[in-house]
Amino acid sequence: MIEVTNVVKRYGPNTVLNNATFQIEEGQLTTILGPSGCGKSTMLRCMNRLEKFDRGRMNIAGVEVLGTEDKKLTAAEEKDLTRRLRAHVGIVFQNFNLFPHLTVLGNAIEAPVTVKGLPRKEAEEVARHYLSKVGLSAKEEFYPAQLSGGQQQRVAIARALAMEPDVILFDEPTSALDPQLIQEVARMFRALDDLGKTIVVVSHDMNFARRISDQVIYFEGGHAVEAGTPEEVFGRPQKEETRAFMRSFQDEDEAGNEADASEGKVEEVADKGTRLSLGQEE
Amino acid sequence: MKHIISRAVAIFLLLLFLPAPSFAQSALERVRKNGELRIGTDATYPPFETAEGGTFTGFDIELGEAIAREMGVRATFINAGFDGIFPALQNGSFDAVMSSVTITPERSASMLFSEPYYDSGQLIAVRQDTQNINVPDDLTGKKVGVQINTTAQYDLEKRAGVQVEKYNTIDLALQDLQNKRIDAVVGDAPVLKWMIFQSFRQLKTVGRRFTDEKFGIALAQGSDDLRRAINAALWRIEDSGEYNRIHEKWFGEAAERALAQTTGGGAGSRAFNFDLVRRLWRLFLSGLWLTARLAILSLAFGLPVGLLLALARVQSSKILAAPAAVYVEVMRGTPLLVQILFIYFVLPSFGVNIPAFWSGIIALTLNSAAYISEIFRAGILSIDVGQMEAARSLGMTYAQAMRRIILPQTFRRVVPPLTNEGIALLKDSSLVTIIGLTELTRTGQELASRYAAPLTIWPVVAIFYLLLTFPLTRVAEYLERRWRPVTRS
Repeated sequence: MIEVTNVVKRYGPNTVLNNATFQIEEGQLTTILGPSGCGKSTMLRCMNRLEKFDRGRMNIAGVEVLGTEDKKLTAAEEKDLTRRLRAHVGIVFQNFNLFPHLTVLGNAIEAPVTVKGLPRKEAEEVARHYLSKVGLSAKEEFYPAQLSGGQQQRVAIARALAMEPDVILFDEPTSALDPQLIQEVARMFRALDDLGKTIVVVSHDMNFARRISDQVIYFEGGHAVEAGTPEEVFGRPQKEETRAFMRSFQDEDEAGNEADASEGKVEEVADKGTRLSLGQEE
Repeated sequence: MKHIISRAVAIFLLLLFLPAPSFAQSALERVRKNGELRIGTDATYPPFETAEGGTFTGFDIELGEAIAREMGVRATFINAGFDGIFPALQNGSFDAVMSSVTITPERSASMLFSEPYYDSGQLIAVRQDTQNINVPDDLTGKKVGVQINTTAQYDLEKRAGVQVEKYNTIDLALQDLQNKRIDAVVGDAPVLKWMIFQSFRQLKTVGRRFTDEKFGIALAQGSDDLRRAINAALWRIEDSGEYNRIHEKWFGEAAERALAQTTGGGAGSRAFNFDLVRRLWRLFLSGLWLTARLAILSLAFGLPVGLLLALARVQSSKILAAPAAVYVEVMRGTPLLVQILFIYFVLPSFGVNIPAFWSGIIALTLNSAAYISEIFRAGILSIDVGQMEAARSLGMTYAQAMRRIILPQTFRRVVPPLTNEGIALLKDSSLVTIIGLTELTRTGQELASRYAAPLTIWPVVAIFYLLLTFPLTRVAEYLERRWRPVTRS
């Protein structure tokens, strides 16, 4: 279903993705887990063509993507490729990126109407179906700014679902949310699983990954270090890098939420703080 | 005064680039065929030429009408600022200039003149209590006001030690003299006498005319046959006594008595004259209407052009972005006044002849579009990149994302700076006076000199501008309210 083979991406002298290779089965929920800066978010963005990669091969829902150094595309070919790819792959961003000038319903029908050319009535029906799936039927006339962080995330999910993609990508779905809500997000992922979608989640939250995933891919240094069921990866990690990551997580738990020494972690914690202040009235 | 000097420099530069127009037919043939003699005049110079709401009066006006009548055509007067009047003559905006133009060797080198039709000369005006200025030599070391580009300016500049202050119109020079900021004013004798009589009673003229100047009708080079026809008409008018009748009407004793009666002894320059406003408000309205049309049309065209420029600059293709950037750089980096002059005066020599009104609209549009594009560009760039990514990830094309997601959010953010630009444009529109459009500022200029009452006229002009900006601000407030982004309630 999703096949990533030897994908390489560089930003100047930095190699962000370094021969990343992994497979994801259709209908599965896979978490790409790893420390910040490991390239997991870039990997996800490549899967939606928000980023291009230099070398390697990707096959997602039957759409074949090659590295730009392996195959140079004309502007028209590029346009056609992104159109085909995005018809199959939706994404829910870390900070949701809802359209603030549109209502909840407006957010969910915008792309079906402009991209697929659905009549408005029909698009509204589809949108309402998915809004009820994420429990937001009562909020369809609200604007994003009037919703809590958790509700905004569900709007973003409904917006992606309304395009009826086969694959949905989630970038750090728990980082912008109140810890109390994570339980609820986990529940929602299971509900999405029931829709038969293939789901790829990027996260650095080990507990969350353990709770929701069919498959966990441990990512570090721009490539997949090891992959397996949560039991395999968390219970019997095969690689030293994976074990070190697990240990740091346990230390953090023991230290009781003390700020991590690495800069990236500090930033994320700070980020979490500001977003939480946006409100939590669920 | 800096503004005036830059204007003079701009016009001088333009004159250098102006090739002599080559008309397919001779000037006289053109006048005969059209049945009209188009005469340019700067109607801020009583008693020679004044205008009141499109109606021209004065000595030059009546003489011009008599000459046209002799030639068997009708006279059409076209109002133009004195600093733009000769370029306009060169580019064929009118056939002749009758605007108290002194015949000088310098002017004769670049245009033709009829036989002289009026003997004038420069005279000195000072305050009533001034004792020590009586002859030109007394002006050494003094600040002396003149109207820009007049023979008074040229004459004084040749005298060492005289500090020359230039004014757009002569009434402003006299007002400044009355306000004691300058020591004297030099100008054409009849005009100074008329203005002092009418409004500036605290001033007086001293001594005699110290230059001997002759007014002539100015014609573009190559209009030799028209000059012969005009000279012939002038002679016939002098022979028939028509000339004397007109001269008596404007400069005789009867004229002075009539003047004294109509104005009732000039309080005009001191106090605000409500009677004058009551009488003239309709004229302000017509100036207001022209200013409004200029501003609204320029804004209506400038907004879409500015938006397109901004869109060209934010997208990734250099083929579109680079020319747009150059355009903005050039249009913002050159004075609007020069752009107006270029479109109106220079383009005709390339066969592009655009009437004054549309020249003004085009210049204001092209200029404001550059500023507007930067406002839009800043607005677009202020939208979080996540918005474009979200829209694209849902399958929208760049254009769809721009139209449906980015621009609607941009518009509500740029209303306040666009309002600023609209108001600036409204006031900048006064620069089109240079190509002879009688909008609000020009109306003020004409009436201030016609009634020698700058202290009454300019406050009224200011109020009329406010009347224009006020509704603009209200519209902007309405849009801002309507488009206010929904925040947490």
